[in-house]
Amino acid sequence: MFLHYLDLSWRSFKRTPVVSVLMVFAVAVGIGITMTSLSVYHMMSMDPIPEKSDKLFHLQLQTMEGEQTRRGSPDGLPYQMTYQDAVALSNAPIPARKVPSMKAGFSVHMNTPEVKPFIETARMTNRDFFDMFNLSFVHGGPWTLEQQDNATPVVVINEEINNRLFGGANSVGNMIYLDNRSYLVVGVMKQWKLNIKFYDVNNGAFHDAEQLFLPFSLIAPFEIDTWGNTNGWKSEETNTFQQKMRSEDLWIQFWAELNNEQEEREYGEFLMSYMQEQQKSGRFDRDQLEYALRDVLETMDYRGVVSEDNRILVGLSFMFLAVCLANILGLLLAKFLRRAPEVGVRRALGASKTQVFYQHLVEVSLLGLMGGIVGIGISQLGLWGVRLTQDYYTELATMDITMLIAAPAIAITSCVIAGLYPAWLVCGTTPATYLKTQ
Amino acid sequence: MLSMQNISKMYQTEMVQTHALKDFNLEVDEGEFIAVTGPSGSGKTTFLNIAGMLEPFTGGTYSLDGVDVGSLSDNARADLRNQKIGFIFQGFNLIPDLNLYENVEVPLRYRGIKSAERKRRIESCLEQVGLASRAKHLPQQLSGGQQQRVAIARALAGEPRFLLADEPTGNLDSLMARQVMELLEQINRDGATIIMVTHDPELARRAPRNVQIVDGQMADITLYQRNGVEPMQKIAGA
Ligand SMILES: Nc1ncnc2c1ncn2[C@@H]1O[C@H](COP(=O)(O)OP(=O)(O)OP(=O)(O)O)[C@@H](O)[C@H]1O
Ligand SMILES: [Mg+2]
Repeated sequence: MFLHYLDLSWRSFKRTPVVSVLMVFAVAVGIGITMTSLSVYHMMSMDPIPEKSDKLFHLQLQTMEGEQTRRGSPDGLPYQMTYQDAVALSNAPIPARKVPSMKAGFSVHMNTPEVKPFIETARMTNRDFFDMFNLSFVHGGPWTLEQQDNATPVVVINEEINNRLFGGANSVGNMIYLDNRSYLVVGVMKQWKLNIKFYDVNNGAFHDAEQLFLPFSLIAPFEIDTWGNTNGWKSEETNTFQQKMRSEDLWIQFWAELNNEQEEREYGEFLMSYMQEQQKSGRFDRDQLEYALRDVLETMDYRGVVSEDNRILVGLSFMFLAVCLANILGLLLAKFLRRAPEVGVRRALGASKTQVFYQHLVEVSLLGLMGGIVGIGISQLGLWGVRLTQDYYTELATMDITMLIAAPAIAITSCVIAGLYPAWLVCGTTPATYLKTQ
Repeated sequence: MLSMQNISKMYQTEMVQTHALKDFNLEVDEGEFIAVTGPSGSGKTTFLNIAGMLEPFTGGTYSLDGVDVGSLSDNARADLRNQKIGFIFQGFNLIPDLNLYENVEVPLRYRGIKSAERKRRIESCLEQVGLASRAKHLPQQLSGGQQQRVAIARALAGEPRFLLADEPTGNLDSLMARQVMELLEQINRDGATIIMVTHDPELARRAPRNVQIVDGQMADITLYQRNGVEPMQKIAGA
């Protein structure tokens, strides 16, 4: 019977092609706009690392003295960390895996005229970073602990850079130049596709991941400064890089992997005792010692990655969809009521109200399906527009499989909602009303 | 099989109240063939619609096969209609988007009959009304008489126990009308109960029992011998 209803729906569609196309278009526009904003929202709020987002914790320490707090931070805690704390905590016995990291950047070249130098962002971090964030390698792997401890100039590059510099060949063991120093390539990393740069949202949550990864231990000897923000709150001399490293300036991010509540508790206790220890040397000079450990989703929420504006936009686009549906409702009403005589005949020939109702719901579902499919096309256009105007949104302004399935589902559901009343009305007519006249 | 007592039907429109049926009484036994006659506007179609449960009535009691129709839910009525009753409407009421084959198929689909069985019945019924070769035509490609015959085929395909026919021969020439009448007599012999509205006194006389409706009321019932010409009995003003 379902196939039969589908057949009838298709005939009905063809009988009034203009109105039908108009209705599909109205649904499509509504769905297109809704799906555009919903897709961006979905990508923004999607768990970027679902397999362990509840085990990776971003650490914040309240280093600011006295009554000071960081302006703009919801809980007054600074978003970043001092270099000295980052180094101390990465050398601490617990937890097993924790990494300091910092955004940097270099001019990349091969010291030959063939390859033009280009500027690339880099991340200074520890070798555990790759394991913690589930990064995989095409060639080679992370640098060794020894290389890390000895501040050996090594680098992990990603596929894209590898293609650019080595035509995709296995470049492990080759040298590349960053600024005026040469570095040994130890690993080629698979491209890191990120919707949200959750491990460092300080310079834009929707930036791409860095392309080069180098040992954090190189910062001191090579005096590699951050390409991100440095937040200073204390008036102190920071003219030289050595001074900056010893200062209270905040410019490092710190992540710890904690596998259960016990580890969280132990690490918390450890952090408190660390801060108390530091107080003895005059740092952390405040009444209340504070730290914060937030997992990935908590961090995204805390930093407001999905802004209120985006939620409002999604709400507005759903309202627009509702307006489209109100129009559809009107058109369906007219279309279905014109068919009342035919319904009367069907009822007289033994169709129950339920069957008539079902037939009409199939028809509006078909309308929704077609609208949803065309709507996907329209939202692709919309997302293309977003990508065109917002450079950083390349990974965000796309539809993943969830959204591709959601589009027709939302379209069908909304058409069914719009079609309920017309369908109910048409199956409520007394069969005889239209039978006396031809 | 059918029993109507004091049935009345009133149409309320903005300007006027029309008593389409008043105090209407009729008993029909299983297997009867009844011809209903009467002037235009006297309430014949209204009577058939009520008999077929297509319309609610405003007063009286109507029971079909011992079931009080007034107490049935809409879905139960649809079910009964689907299982037992076949209609030939006065205006043929074919569905314009469906070809002849599909039009005849409509009641069979609602009855849940399998596709192969549907095909067999549809083809045989279209054959019976002489339209087998036009199965793929749409109603608007047919003459009035041909449409009438499709409507008959549609009613017959359901093999109804109870057939309600409103002027089934109205648009047919006398030869065709006689053939249709023979068809109806055939299915009556096979066991179906038939109520047929007709203006044609000749055809009416062929039915064993005639009911005349005037002004929404039973005027008289005439019983004919089967195939006979003289009334056996005439009951005036029931
Ligand atoms: N839906 C309706 N609303 C108002 N009045 C109606 C309605 N249907 C029928 N009537 C009226 O009821 C009366 C009986 O109508 P009905 O159709 O039963 O007559 P009929 O005997 O079938 O006539 P004909 O031989 O012309 O088909 C008529 O006066 C008609 O105007
Ligand atoms: Mg009539």
